[in-house]
Amino acid sequence: MSVFMDLNLSYSSDKSRLHSLIESAAHLGFSTVAINYVFEPTAKKKQEIPAPTPINELIDQLPIVQGRSRPIRVLNRLTVVMSDSSHFRPSSPEYRCFDLLAIQPTTEKLFHAACMMYDVDIICISVTEKLPFFFKRAPVNGAVDRGLVFEVSYSASIRDATMRRYTIANAVSLMDSCKGKNVILSSAAEKPLELRGPYDITNLGLLFGLSDGDAKEAVSSTCRSVILHAETRKSASGIIYTMKSCQQEAPPAAHRLQTEGKHNSTESVRLVGGDSRCAGTLEVELGMNGDQ
Amino acid sequence: MVRVKSRYLLCEVNVSDRSQLLLLDDRAVAAAVKAAVARIHGDYGAALCSIRFNVKYVNAHTGTVFLRFPKRCYRLLWSALPFITSVEACGQKIPCFLNCLHVGGTIRTCQKFLIRYNKQQLHRMLPKCKNKEEEEQIRREILNCSLKGGNKEGFEDGSESEEDEEE
Repeated sequence: MSVFMDLNLSYSSDKSRLHSLIESAAHLGFSTVAINYVFEPTAKKKQEIPAPTPINELIDQLPIVQGRSRPIRVLNRLTVVMSDSSHFRPSSPEYRCFDLLAIQPTTEKLFHAACMMYDVDIICISVTEKLPFFFKRAPVNGAVDRGLVFEVSYSASIRDATMRRYTIANAVSLMDSCKGKNVILSSAAEKPLELRGPYDITNLGLLFGLSDGDAKEAVSSTCRSVILHAETRKSASGIIYTMKSCQQEAPPAAHRLQTEGKHNSTESVRLVGGDSRCAGTLEVELGMNGDQ
Repeated sequence: MVRVKSRYLLCEVNVSDRSQLLLLDDRAVAAAVKAAVARIHGDYGAALCSIRFNVKYVNAHTGTVFLRFPKRCYRLLWSALPFITSVEACGQKIPCFLNCLHVGGTIRTCQKFLIRYNKQQLHRMLPKCKNKEEEEQIRREILNCSLKGGNKEGFEDGSESEEDEEE
């Protein structure tokens, strides 16, 4: 049996609200949730990408998930709302602080680029406005091949009748082109009362044009594959994961195995599979005295 | 004789303030469900909802509700339930949402599930006890709420035990 996940809980600076949101998600039976930070760059000036608050600062004791004996797992996620191609900075060091990286393209060109090129995990579908473009088969298939997923969030449709129409219309037109594969349903809830139980969401998938099996996968196994995809994004071709163990002024792109520049750093290299399944770490001394 | 088939949905009413739960009654829940179905599925939904829809059981203390839907269209009607944001009872609007816990073909299987579920809730509550007496009381309730007697008794057990945990 797979576990349920909700990969979108809106971040708010109000800690008690976030706490009650996580508590309520655990009560409903979600074993993994992600706190979403939205970053919306404007054309004028450069803005700072929000830094994630560490989970243990946010909440001291994680609640136990309903029907299980484990505490809930909380991740950080960044959503970049793009209206121009310069807004996404590939391999930016700020992106590495987040567990999941999502993108919300607003034009057809950006949607195409996001599906085919950008190194992200989730492509959000806008649910608050009528779509300015159609989902074409080619980019959608490209995204499915690369393991990206499309996200439909439902809490806007609970708030308002017009939003409900947009949500259902956009979701159905997405399902036409991706045939129900690689879709996740998430809440984007700001208040605990906007969350819904996993079985209700599965059934809600019926309205969004998903079949029974696909709707169930949209809250469970597809979410799991996104998290694994995000883990491999941090590693070299999905096999080797490095992390810095010494404090040195190295270029931020040092996670690539081909380190550039003049520096000595010890990196512990290990096989990917999460902290729990790590067979052991291997210390590699990288002594590069190149003359670049 | 072929019997008329229905689906029973066991739903939990989630509210932010638990004292408001006591205002719930079956008529209020039925009105909220009917309004939501009419809003989402229009006249067709309202027509389907008027045939054999019924609120079978409401427990105001724990906030559990049994809904009966005709089997052939229960998924359609169920898909309207997430859009319920408030229930109007005793002239008051209670902001809440329904969380479906179980779908059963007979009311008996739902009842069995509810008792098991409530027992689980007690287990969850046990570490949060403030003093020894409370802990002892809950422990006794956990032992009590196994389904030995008839249906009726089981029901009472399920509801009673959950009341204690509210303390």
